[in-house]
Amino acid sequence: MAEIKNYTMNFGPQHPAAHGVLRLVLELDGEVVERADPHIGLLHRGTEKLAEHKTFLQSVPYMDRLDYVSMMCNEHAYVMAIEKLAGIDVPLRAQYIRVMFDEITRILNHLLWLGASGIDLGAMTMFFYTFREREDLMDVYEAVSGARMHAAYYRPGGVYRDLPDTMPQYEASKIHNASAIKRMNENRQGSVLDFIEDFCNRFPANVDEYETLLTDNRIWKQRTVGIGVVSPERALALGFTGPMLRGSGVAWDLRKKQPYEVYDRMDFDIPVGVEGDCYDRYLVRVEEMRQSNRIIKQCVDWLRKNPGSVITENHKFAPPKREAIKQNMEELIHHFKLFTEGMHVPTGEVYSAVEHPKGEFGIYLVSDGANKPYRMKIRAPGYPHLASLNEMSRGHMLADVVAIIGTQDIVFGEIDR
Amino acid sequence: MADDLNMLGEQLKEAFTDKVLSLENRLDELTMVIDAADIMAVFMRLRDDPNFRFEQLIDVCGVDYSTYGCETSEGGIYLVDEERINPFKQRFAAVYHLLSVEHNMRLRVKVFALDDAMPMLDSVIEVWPSANWFEREAFDMFGIVFVGHPDLRRILTDYGFVGNPFRKDFPLSGHVEMHYDPEQKRVLYRPVSVEPREVTPRTIREENYSRH
Amino acid sequence: MEKIAHFFKSFLLIELLKGMAVTGKHLFSHKITVHYPEEKTPQSFRFRGLHAQRRYANGEERCIGCKLCEAVCPALAIKIEVAERSDGSRRTTQYDIDLTKCIFCGFCEESCPVDAIVETRVLEYHGEKRGDLYYTKPMLLAVGEKHEAQIAKDRASDAKYR
Repeated sequence: MAEIKNYTMNFGPQHPAAHGVLRLVLELDGEVVERADPHIGLLHRGTEKLAEHKTFLQSVPYMDRLDYVSMMCNEHAYVMAIEKLAGIDVPLRAQYIRVMFDEITRILNHLLWLGASGIDLGAMTMFFYTFREREDLMDVYEAVSGARMHAAYYRPGGVYRDLPDTMPQYEASKIHNASAIKRMNENRQGSVLDFIEDFCNRFPANVDEYETLLTDNRIWKQRTVGIGVVSPERALALGFTGPMLRGSGVAWDLRKKQPYEVYDRMDFDIPVGVEGDCYDRYLVRVEEMRQSNRIIKQCVDWLRKNPGSVITENHKFAPPKREAIKQNMEELIHHFKLFTEGMHVPTGEVYSAVEHPKGEFGIYLVSDGANKPYRMKIRAPGYPHLASLNEMSRGHMLADVVAIIGTQDIVFGEIDR
Repeated sequence: MADDLNMLGEQLKEAFTDKVLSLENRLDELTMVIDAADIMAVFMRLRDDPNFRFEQLIDVCGVDYSTYGCETSEGGIYLVDEERINPFKQRFAAVYHLLSVEHNMRLRVKVFALDDAMPMLDSVIEVWPSANWFEREAFDMFGIVFVGHPDLRRILTDYGFVGNPFRKDFPLSGHVEMHYDPEQKRVLYRPVSVEPREVTPRTIREENYSRH
Repeated sequence: MEKIAHFFKSFLLIELLKGMAVTGKHLFSHKITVHYPEEKTPQSFRFRGLHAQRRYANGEERCIGCKLCEAVCPALAIKIEVAERSDGSRRTTQYDIDLTKCIFCGFCEESCPVDAIVETRVLEYHGEKRGDLYYTKPMLLAVGEKHEAQIAKDRASDAKYR
């Protein structure tokens, strides 16, 4: 009998199941993975170095581009770091808006994850359904910030502008007649908050649909149950956070354990897994979407009743109102100072972390009192997750590697930075 | 939270009397500086001692303190201002962020590498396996060598990259750029052609910006 | 009993049929897709698209060359040269935006004290060469002139939030 040797295979960097630019060198024994060596850095842009050469404000839009499926959560960690170091007070309304958009972002992220993982494992339809809901949420993004993805909406001290009272509407065309347009615009008659509330009312039924398609589906279960099992102890040692850690049964969620903004006023539950396999992590993420939906509803209720300012009045850190700069010389000087020289953040170091949809997203900021950070380190949740790919996939089949990459919710914007 | 931190601080002082170089509690965050020689002993105890139980290594961050407090830059490089007094004696440090899930606590441990020309620190991969890639990154970006790391390769930069890009003396636009040579029909490197441009200079203001 | 139920469930492909039913239901529901380019999805008045330079109603250009946008641009995409015009007013002689560098963050518009540089709703533009996306002052003014009505309307809608 001929001797069978191990062989090495390149997976990616252009493979669609690699979720971006992952070059994975796999050592295979037949179809069984012996060793997986991820080569990353193909999307490395040096965001941390760039930030050292930009003022504090200028780095905000770059945060969107780290994890480009959960944009506002990245911004959140960054602006929180500045606020903590500079001692800026954020208006309560801004905190609610941030919490609401963090949760909208979480749903956006998990929807993309669900759709993309579905495709990876052969459930094509999921992608269409999840993108239908994503479309609504991206419209919300656009309505408040002007961009569907790279929002640049959070600012040190609050958020840029208040939520608008109107929602953009469809216009009549030769394809859809007036009555069809009226139907499409039905939930767009009120403010953005009305639109979000309408979404929240619809969304649980949509999640039920996803679950009908996947949760009991035998193919889905065959592909995920018992794949990539991580014990709770191992998950902690490997630096897992977020759904990856909760999937292994550790009830750890920064929103509950170290609450920031107004999460301590919110009523929600943390789902945890039992087995620590891909299927449990799927269940955890689906349940998280339902919980996020609950939080959004609470925020909408509060925001309706409590109008007010959405950004700090401290003009050393946030620009004055538009009208004020036209009437008041001092405000105009603040405006000019802020947009040329930028804000000066006091000396010190700070680490601020948020419960990002993928795990703990942290910003470690060292300031020497200048208008630019001395050093900024981005703690990306996907980084230790991907580092454990070798351990998680060892002994599994080649096709399971795809399931494991999927379950880790890899996005290269944040891993490569 | 603040009380817990004070208590943790006391416990740390007690446990590592001779090893703690400084312990600071600022902005509700505890920073402990230890000597490079004590890394393994301190971290092992931080992980296993029931008082601490830092099961998770959240992050390892390399820092280059050579131009701390300086303003001048030229060609995308920050320069050392001679008249400024740099409070840091050593140039390179690794900053470890630890998290205890059991006690719901965070701790930052800072370790300075003694030799500026050849910064070396012990690898903590035996204590926390998650250190693997974090240390590779610090090695790649700052050239800090982690002794005992089984697989210390570059991670984020290109294959065959020269230099340590996050050091302060490495220019923002790098040294080389890539281009396709139609004659040789392959990708080649050439010196970078991007002209450094800085619209907003780095400035430091010490007056009343701090709240302390 | 449970075993029998499980047997029938798996033998009769119950969960697969349920899934098919979801798909079947959507076969007859209203479609949410639109036929681009005949029709488009709604666009917010805050939309950040192609840049434009605006003029006042009397034809005078708004930009006073204060260079705030150049200073705040995170991508260093804006380049401005300023000179005194014959009537003594301060005007730009060069105002270029390199759209290949621009990250469409909207900071230029936010910083502009006279609403001269704005980001319009235009998203369908292209260049056939790299250089085509290097927008100079006349090009930006032309975009502004073409879309002035829409720009003014959008700024008015947003005024109360800024």
